Amino acid sequence: MDDERKVSVKKMSDEKITTDISFTKEILTKYPKEQRYLLAILQDIQRHYKFLPRKSLSMVQEYFDIPLSRLYSMATFYKALSLKPKGEYVIKICDGTACHLRGSNIIIDEIKKLLDIVPGDTTRDGRFSLETVNCLGSCAAAPVVVINDRFFGKVTPSKLKEIIEEYGGNGDE
Amino acid sequence: MQIVIDGKTCDAKRGEFLLDIAKRNGIDIPTLCHLDALPGEGNCRMCIVEVLERGRSRVVTSCIYPVKRPVEVLTNTPKIIKMRKTLVMLLASRVPENDMIYQLCEQYDVKPPMRFTKDPTEECILCRLCVRACEEIKLNAISTVNRGITKKISTPFDEPSDTCIGCGACAYVCPTNAIKIHDKNGKRYMWNKSFELLKCEKCGEYFTTRENFEYVNKQLECKEPKILCDKCKKTQAQENLRDIFSTYEM
Amino acid sequence: MNDMDKKSILVCCGPGCLSDNSDEVLANFKQKLQGQDIDIKAVVKGTGCQGLCEMGPLVRILPQDILYCKVRAADVDEIIEKTIIGNDIVERLLYHDTDSKKGVVSSNQIDFYRGQKKIALRNVGLIDPKNIDDYIAQDGYSALKKVLTQESREYAIDEIERSGLRGRGGAGFPTGIKWRQCAEFEEKPKYVICNGDEGDPGAFMDRSIIEGDPHSVIEGMTICAYAIGANNGFMYIRDEYFLAISNMTHALKQARASGFLGKNILGSGFDFDIEIVRGGGAFVCGESTALIASIEGRVGEPRAKYIHSNEQGLWYKPTVLNNVETWANVPFIINQGAERFGKIGTKKSKGTKVFSLVGKVKNTGLIEVPMGMPLRQIIFDIGGGINGNRKFKAVQTGGPSGGCIPEDHLDINVDFDSLAEAGSMMGSGGMIVMDDRSCMVDVARYYLNFLSGESCGKCIPCREGIKRMLEILNDICCGKGREGDLELLMEIAETVEEASLCGLGKTAPNPVITTLRYFKDEYIAHIKEKRCPAGVCRELTSYHIDQELCRGCGLCSKQCPQDAIAKRDKYFAIDESLCVKCGSCIDTCRFDAIKVGGRISCK
Repeated sequence: MDDERKVSVKKMSDEKITTDISFTKEILTKYPKEQRYLLAILQDIQRHYKFLPRKSLSMVQEYFDIPLSRLYSMATFYKALSLKPKGEYVIKICDGTACHLRGSNIIIDEIKKLLDIVPGDTTRDGRFSLETVNCLGSCAAAPVVVINDRFFGKVTPSKLKEIIEEYGGNGDE
Repeated sequence: MQIVIDGKTCDAKRGEFLLDIAKRNGIDIPTLCHLDALPGEGNCRMCIVEVLERGRSRVVTSCIYPVKRPVEVLTNTPKIIKMRKTLVMLLASRVPENDMIYQLCEQYDVKPPMRFTKDPTEECILCRLCVRACEEIKLNAISTVNRGITKKISTPFDEPSDTCIGCGACAYVCPTNAIKIHDKNGKRYMWNKSFELLKCEKCGEYFTTRENFEYVNKQLECKEPKILCDKCKKTQAQENLRDIFSTYEM
Repeated sequence: MNDMDKKSILVCCGPGCLSDNSDEVLANFKQKLQGQDIDIKAVVKGTGCQGLCEMGPLVRILPQDILYCKVRAADVDEIIEKTIIGNDIVERLLYHDTDSKKGVVSSNQIDFYRGQKKIALRNVGLIDPKNIDDYIAQDGYSALKKVLTQESREYAIDEIERSGLRGRGGAGFPTGIKWRQCAEFEEKPKYVICNGDEGDPGAFMDRSIIEGDPHSVIEGMTICAYAIGANNGFMYIRDEYFLAISNMTHALKQARASGFLGKNILGSGFDFDIEIVRGGGAFVCGESTALIASIEGRVGEPRAKYIHSNEQGLWYKPTVLNNVETWANVPFIINQGAERFGKIGTKKSKGTKVFSLVGKVKNTGLIEVPMGMPLRQIIFDIGGGINGNRKFKAVQTGGPSGGCIPEDHLDINVDFDSLAEAGSMMGSGGMIVMDDRSCMVDVARYYLNFLSGESCGKCIPCREGIKRMLEILNDICCGKGREGDLELLMEIAETVEEASLCGLGKTAPNPVITTLRYFKDEYIAHIKEKRCPAGVCRELTSYHIDQELCRGCGLCSKQCPQDAIAKRDKYFAIDESLCVKCGSCIDTCRFDAIKVGGRISCK
């Protein structure tokens, strides 16, 4: 099952790249060929594709004439960059101190129960990704969950269930 | 300028690194991630020493600490030894089966605690010398990957690297022999990649990979190189010299 | 002036209020006041954080200074009708005093605001950050004008030095000395950097300043650039802060258009511009040398600071790097003078400090207090005490680099030195309050876990030390703690503290060291009695309902996500096999009937 999912996700993303490679090209023309723009370029690519496609990376590598190993090192160092495609809905659970004290780990456990994913994972159907983030500055509303750009404050396990159901994840996989 | 290391007065230039001064004066400071050919990076922290200045003592990393003023340096205080011991303990917990670190444990009389989870296959202490050696040769086949406690050294995507030539420089500089080169049946295997090994024209021993041979000769702009191992190359050169001298003497 | 009777409606659009849909409130006000033919002149502004996040969304009405709390879009009509058109107050939306339960009209009568002193936040929550005229109306850019046209480079450095301002990013290095040293180097070009990579979990001070008053940061940086002779500046902002980036981008454009940035600023012949760099999502990039590496387009690994970035910073050129709050203080000091600033605070810590007061405190929010205010006053007067009137246990300052301060140290004054003495540090200003339901071993474990992912992993003591300390703490939290663990923790902590390469590593053991120092009993309870006194560590906790105290209301049963609580006879009881110890029941029970016990297998 796991392999099946990987294949389907891979297919999906590969297709996207072949149709969309122009975006990477476009991004590259926007920045001068100086190493200091490397991170910004990777962030733009990440934002567009929701991950860093291999093909885009080789284009960046060529553009800057830098080793692939250095790019790979960057891509795995910065949390804003990801080499794996993300799900349709990215669930971000704030694990700042305030949220932690008010039970964010229980929310993480609850998601694990509902969707069978841990932080860093994507569900088999490619619909949900789970991430933890440091602090979103909404400590008054702790614990905080953000799905794509929608905000949910004072989340309890029972409230979370409703939210996930609203997004079509009922946990009965 | 003069500085005092462990009671010995040493000449020093402004900006020179403590470790270099100590070495020049025969004072031994332990290192793991240091090579004289490469600038210090301060990764392993074994070379920490105490610097006394204006009545204050502070712990500095001697391989990257530039001397600015005359100072007094102590390389073996109880404090430093205690910290080196903890460092060795941490290293031994990371690479429990590694011989080099085991020797360090013996030397520092460290018994690694049994309570930590062990990975007997781990041999790398992430000193980064291999990455830097590879950078120096301008191949950049490997790099550090990830961050924090999941940091490791690998080729991009853990796949065979396009640029790796199997030269083995990474393994050569590794202080813990963590990088394994497997030569078998005319093939070399390393970093998930296989290479064809070349035989020396003279002695018939396998001595390097085709990729490395070609790379080196390209760098040296050598058009029609002979396939010779280092040993035979030396003998050949000596023979050539002898020939020249003998003609000269005649 | 006509403007005097013009009403301003300030809708808070800080991170806390926005997460509770204050943007809808703002939109509603704008639409209603534009749409209707109301014969009242009122300005509607979306502002930065107004502070009292707990009661958000906040709406403040000037000049009467009325503060409305928890305002919904549906309340807008009533506010317009009663307060804007009429001169009435909507009683139900007022802040209600926690003790007297009486409605309080004006913000300066609320305990939360009363003890505060705003310098860095002087405009945050008051002005529209997207409108440079609002900033200028508050004396904005007059400090820059003063330095450029009336005074000298030397003057700016002198004033900052004499003011005693210390860096607000954590270590508290004197800002004036930093500037002077950098100014003295002759090498060019020089750079000015703003560190806005606020990565501390539980901190949102810098974000609030960039979002709510971006021009004060720009002005501060420009003054410094002039003083040291730099022509390029970089603003490194955490990528997740999209509103901050957007407001700052907008502010930079406006500043350029108004001649405060760019070529020949205010006709002085001085050129300076600022570029935004988005952070890549790495806590370690808050460390100055890692941040510099990141701006240069490399992996954010710190280097040793034996040569300061004053001398060799960005691209090995002389660089002044300060954090957001430090920059925001600069225009105030130039305008008001070093003496006036120096009168605020303590002898060695001048001025004010911004904190995000969060955790188990009643008034969660963004505050700015004079240096030297006792911790107790901050937590109990401004913060209003502990949620649910539970028992205070500790306050954590300084983020992952700081420490936990217990009750008997609550009377220490908040300044750089006193906090350091207590084993913690000022840090960038996260202040996290913990009550008796917070497990201190779990807190130490939490920070170490955070750091295990955020350390750059370059040097051995930090990487391996954190990994092993975390392993021990994980074991202790799940009942596998052993004898000798605490000694081993201390041994590792001491070496990590001394031998690590950068500030992150050197301070990483602080959460462990301070909790061990002040809460050793809790560690011992975990290790020896296999019991988590706070009821947080699940493997060491069981819940039960005290039949004497239970009134049978059933609220806990409704809240339980596991359906683990059911009625047996008259009272409720918890099925231990289903309970996940989430604490929902404890938080809902009004009779304190749910009790925490030790590991259930001990039964």
